[in-house]
Amino acid sequence: MLPAGCSRRLLAELRDALDACAERQRQLERSLRVSRRLLRVWEPAETPALEPTPGPDTNEEARPPARTPSPQDLKELELLTQALEKAVRVRKGLSKAGGRDEAPSRKSRSIVSPATTASVPPRASGQAGRRASETKPPRGVRQTTVPAKGLPELRLLSVGDQTCKARGAQAAKPEPGLRDQQMAPSAAPQAPEAFTLKQKGLWAQLSSTETGDSMDATTTAKTQFLRKMQSGWPSSRLCAAEVEAEVGRLRKACSLLRQRMGEELTADPVDWMQEYHCLLTLEGLQAIAGQCLHRLQELRAAVMEHQLAPWPEGRLPSAPSSCGGGADSIWSPQLLLYSSTQELQTLASLRLRVAMLDEQIHLEKVLMAELLPLVSTQEPLGPPWLALCRAVHSLLCEGGEHFLTILRDEPAD
Amino acid sequence: MWPQVGRRGPSREAQKAPALWRLLFHVLSPRPADDAAALPTPEAQARLVKSALRSQGYPRRALVQLPEDGSQGSRELLLALSWLLARGPLLERLLAQIRVRLGDEMPVCECEVLASPGPPAPRVEADGCVDIRHLQWLMGKLRFGWRNLITSQQEHCALLGKVHSYTRGCHSDRSLGHLSVTEAELLRDPEGGRQLLRRLESENARLEAALEWRRRELVFWQWMDTVLDACPPEASQPTFLPRIPERGAGELELVARELQALQEELQAVVETRRAAWEARVGGWGPGWKATQRASEEAVRQELTALQRAWERGGGLAQPHGPHRLVRSEAGTLGGPGLRATEVIKALRSREACLEAALRQLQGQCRQELARLVGALPGFIWILPPGC
Repeated sequence: MLPAGCSRRLLAELRDALDACAERQRQLERSLRVSRRLLRVWEPAETPALEPTPGPDTNEEARPPARTPSPQDLKELELLTQALEKAVRVRKGLSKAGGRDEAPSRKSRSIVSPATTASVPPRASGQAGRRASETKPPRGVRQTTVPAKGLPELRLLSVGDQTCKARGAQAAKPEPGLRDQQMAPSAAPQAPEAFTLKQKGLWAQLSSTETGDSMDATTTAKTQFLRKMQSGWPSSRLCAAEVEAEVGRLRKACSLLRQRMGEELTADPVDWMQEYHCLLTLEGLQAIAGQCLHRLQELRAAVMEHQLAPWPEGRLPSAPSSCGGGADSIWSPQLLLYSSTQELQTLASLRLRVAMLDEQIHLEKVLMAELLPLVSTQEPLGPPWLALCRAVHSLLCEGGEHFLTILRDEPAD
Repeated sequence: MWPQVGRRGPSREAQKAPALWRLLFHVLSPRPADDAAALPTPEAQARLVKSALRSQGYPRRALVQLPEDGSQGSRELLLALSWLLARGPLLERLLAQIRVRLGDEMPVCECEVLASPGPPAPRVEADGCVDIRHLQWLMGKLRFGWRNLITSQQEHCALLGKVHSYTRGCHSDRSLGHLSVTEAELLRDPEGGRQLLRRLESENARLEAALEWRRRELVFWQWMDTVLDACPPEASQPTFLPRIPERGAGELELVARELQALQEELQAVVETRRAAWEARVGGWGPGWKATQRASEEAVRQELTALQRAWERGGGLAQPHGPHRLVRSEAGTLGGPGLRATEVIKALRSREACLEAALRQLQGQCRQELARLVGALPGFIWILPPGC
């Protein structure tokens, strides 16, 4: 059994790591659920013949003609749509909305027709406005926002018509719901676009307010306020968050210094100049390491003296990291371009691997700090100690994956 | 809960304390809107706020003395909020953190992950001792968890790839070219689409409020000045409640130990090399002094550049933050954006570096253990194959 303090510390570390892993898994599961559901719609398992994916090098323009629906499919679709229209009419008749018979049918026909033509000119927004007023949603039918037409919608329908066919093949259920699925594509892409355009404008405005004369006055006022708040408080005193940040920086420094040292030690100098360069670099690294160590000792003294609790209980995940991605990313998201699924998978798994290695290294250091002293101080050399040695060896040297064997070397008698 | 700070003018309501506690809590630990985890109780929130402000160095003692039930203290809380606002780009940071993301995003750095360990779980600390086998079991569980994570991630990427390639040509923004999962969901599920639109609407409202705030900011600071003047003067330096820093000091000690070890290694190497060098160079004339100085200058510059990598603000040279994934066949897109191949290259070198570091640590342990147990006769230690 391990001593209490050691147990507590190690348990805390491992549980933190497990919690973090579980949290990542949860988030990933959430995204997976959404993506799976989405693809189930586009790849219905019972109609394998309707593979909507073109090859990755298929030209966009070439796609619609390649999948011109057969006349029979068109006929079916037409019949289906007429059935839906009738259902809607009946419902409207029941609810006494009245008088709008031609609009739905015109709209539905206009949805069907683009599927057959290779290229339809994008409709003007004026038309869209008119159509919006004509197709005011009748009660009960879920029609969303302005069904403005545009090129994107067209393409969507050429992909989406596969789904329609699939559904039509499955069951001719004349529910208005199906038509909504057809209608909704026309509505949705435009509306968030309008919002995001407005957003971009707002973000740009926000960024522009950061500079300018008015901001100088504000900055002065802020600084003065801070100074007043700070009075009576020695400004040289470090706070816990700053200590934490600096320790993190020094840790990064240590690993970068070590990496550089490794590079210098493995380099093979060709001539004396390179040799001298190498020597100077190593001396420089030593000096910097000394400076970092000195700074760390200063921090340690500050922590002890002021009894700073660097990690308050129930720590809030609020580290004000500079990782907003830099100034530009705030208004327009930065892009990451990938060219194949394989590449994306490699990228993602490398990211995870790096994170995992980071964590493993951290745990290794923690375990070393806690367990090695135990092995050296526990004197009773009975089986418990042997078991401890074996376990410690496995944890520290093999990543917990392999175990060594211990044989007692009995004398031959 | 978005602080509509723009609307908060110089009002004199006295009973705003509970709202301000909540506000500070959310400002200090912003959560995404869909985070379903339960919030702590108001008292717990107040305690967390006090603790977080203290660790950031809030310079007023009055905050610590406030009652946590929200019965008073609105002025002090307002001062605390102003202090946070004055110190850094709080508004922009919060806006960026809770913005609606339409694309499929992947972070290219690990900063966010390290900084946000999730909601603080009130852990019941078992004061008992554990067997080392329990630790081994936990480590195994962790390894398994990571393996699962990698598999799920692979599946996710495959699905994303499909969605992106199926919807090629559907996006009105030509530079993006295809839809993201969120955008495709809009099509599939009109109700979800409406929700998304509502979120976009509220984000626009937030941005407009932020702009309003900017316009009136100066007045706010002038007013806060008067509020601060109206406070009774604080007593002399407060005394901290003595707290034994547990894991915090542990981190500091770990780094100190590493740096110490590194320095000793460097010292050993440098001494031998310098001695060897001096022996060789002893007979050389003054002619090579110029080259010597040139080398010194070059090394000095290289090391300064190296130092910048960890200094404050030095990390900005590398790509940070979440990036929107965009699928484009190789060579077709010459536009702005990070290329996956570059990120992969950087990650591979970092992976190699970390693997080397881990192996080195494991080797150190092996040596140390061999030293500790090798002194004991009577046992044969058979290492697992491959060592």
